[in-house]
Amino acid sequence: MSGDLTTLPELLERAAGHGDAGLRFVDGAESAGWFPWPLVRERALDGCGRLQARGVSPGDRVALVLPTSIEFFDAFFGVLLAGAVPVPLYPPVRLGRLDEYAARTARMLELVRATVVVTDRRVRRLLGPAVAAARPRLGCVVLDELADSDPHPAPGAPQDLALVQFSSGTTVDPKPVALSHRAVVAQTLRLKAYWPQPEGRTVDSGASWLPLYHDMGLIGCVLPALEHPGTLTLIPPELFIARPALWLQTISRHRATISPAPNFAYGLCLDKIRDEELDGVDLSCWRIALNGAEPVAPRVLRGFCERFARWGFSSAAMTPVYGLSEAALAVTFSDVAAPFQARRFDREQLARAGRAVDAADGVELVALGRPLPDFALAIVDDAGAELAPGQVGHLLVRGPSLMDGYLDQPEATAGVLRDGWLDTGDLGFLHDGQLYLTGRAKDVLILRGRNHSPHEVEDAVDSVAGARAGCAVAVSWLPEGDSGERLLLLVEARRDVPGSDYPRIARECAGAVRAAAGLDPDHVEVLVPGTLPRTSSGKLRRAETLRRWLAGELDPPAAVTPLRVLAAAARSRLAFARMRLDSDERS
Amino acid sequence: MNDQEILEGIGEVARRHLGFTGELRPGQRLAEDLELDSLKMLTLAVEVENRFRICLDPSSEARIATVGDLAAEVGRQLERRSDDAP
Repeated sequence: MSGDLTTLPELLERAAGHGDAGLRFVDGAESAGWFPWPLVRERALDGCGRLQARGVSPGDRVALVLPTSIEFFDAFFGVLLAGAVPVPLYPPVRLGRLDEYAARTARMLELVRATVVVTDRRVRRLLGPAVAAARPRLGCVVLDELADSDPHPAPGAPQDLALVQFSSGTTVDPKPVALSHRAVVAQTLRLKAYWPQPEGRTVDSGASWLPLYHDMGLIGCVLPALEHPGTLTLIPPELFIARPALWLQTISRHRATISPAPNFAYGLCLDKIRDEELDGVDLSCWRIALNGAEPVAPRVLRGFCERFARWGFSSAAMTPVYGLSEAALAVTFSDVAAPFQARRFDREQLARAGRAVDAADGVELVALGRPLPDFALAIVDDAGAELAPGQVGHLLVRGPSLMDGYLDQPEATAGVLRDGWLDTGDLGFLHDGQLYLTGRAKDVLILRGRNHSPHEVEDAVDSVAGARAGCAVAVSWLPEGDSGERLLLLVEARRDVPGSDYPRIARECAGAVRAAAGLDPDHVEVLVPGTLPRTSSGKLRRAETLRRWLAGELDPPAAVTPLRVLAAAARSRLAFARMRLDSDERS
Repeated sequence: MNDQEILEGIGEVARRHLGFTGELRPGQRLAEDLELDSLKMLTLAVEVENRFRICLDPSSEARIATVGDLAAEVGRQLERRSDDAP
């Protein structure tokens, strides 16, 4: 693709010629802010000038800690126009665990050696401890408080660093993924090819509630809309979590043709949306419902297609995909015009021999499709030798949008990038040219000599009454001095379930795992909701869960109340004040 | 200031600063029913302090889970303020 040779500022420049497309923001009252692309660029130029006056130079890494809002884009594109590198991080909107948030954010600021943190007034009230620990050279700023100044855009080259996104590493600490303009634009062009072509004068539109600090939201939604150029309607993620119906209402109201989400979002819609919330909703416009970023459960896909057909949802729209931050985003797409495919494979053969053999009563896996144009897949054994189709092994990918590496981490990079191939850390096999995944290499449960996927065990407990869907963790560990691995199952209860029900839930979970996976958990524990550690994108962190459980540190989050947040804000003010004192003393 | 006036004052804060429409009821839970995240919770707390000219005490062990709990805590602080008055 010849268009690969360009940069994100060039895409913004081109989009600025299209006033009929742009970004729309939906808030709780469903009123929408509308920013056509020319205005987005104008505001970005203003942001660029202010950042340059503050001292931001080409190549600087600029952390963005902003909620879904036009202010995010003022900063994101402003940083890019200044030739600097945006690093979107998650804002502290989740309830609970504010101390943990500060520690993780400080760590991420240090890893990318951020020059400055751009935020808004509200978020800044809670950022003090993180900023004080990381000490970015140009401090923590709010764009409209910076001096207004003429922008001097510094165009970069395709091989320059475009942005850094944190991998949502479920097994290890998040790593900063360094992506060049060439890689990001290559990914954008391939995704954009899936945006349905305009019919007549209608501008195609997308809708997304996905966080902007996450690849699927930023690279998967914003950048194709920019390149198209089309219109993207954005819903703040915390609003979607509280009111899932808003997602479907927004797709219907703004006639969105494309909207992606991870598997859990489709499950949340099934569980939480009431029929009466969908009065007047028409989902027939939704032609591509991408489903990726976490394991895709056939039960959820089927349930979603059946339930929402009444409101015009077409089962052909449901499109399972596979991708990862290290490849900028997508690697495979299933057929966008056909219903999803799932097949059943013999459980015993998969677990013992690592072979995919059709079996009518076997475990059901969803096909994740074929590589995007110019991408290639390989399945290899532990020694790196390529395996035949139908054999389970490590999944390697090659393509035009792979990362340059983990930012400033040559050793970690060498561990996953070799001879142009990226080791995804995922296990899977090819069948009829389509990709099927069986689990993460590091998460595999090894029990009595057989390999099991934790998903197989975790999905089984979703059907237990009182268990919180998608909030179970299965890990195996070897107790000291013991001869065999043990299976530990930790399950969060639903919010409305009393503690007296926990023993019953534990018994039924053990039964469900026996029935579905043929495994006998050695220990089942039911936990208060919110106890299991998660990544910024909400994925459960298995290794960290096991570590905390063994250390006796698996505690429920403290309920956030007005008084607790006030205390956190007071600590934040104190941290900022100490920082100022220190720098006054130094100067 | 009676309980009803306090409740109305909190409602006014929620409408002006958090974009709420309609009335608040004492039984509504801040996190679950009003869908307040950490940032909105902070906005509510700070603006309630401004509205009633009180200081909520972050080190207090009071458990504030509902609109009613918040109103009661505001009432306590208002009482303390009038006790301190000369």
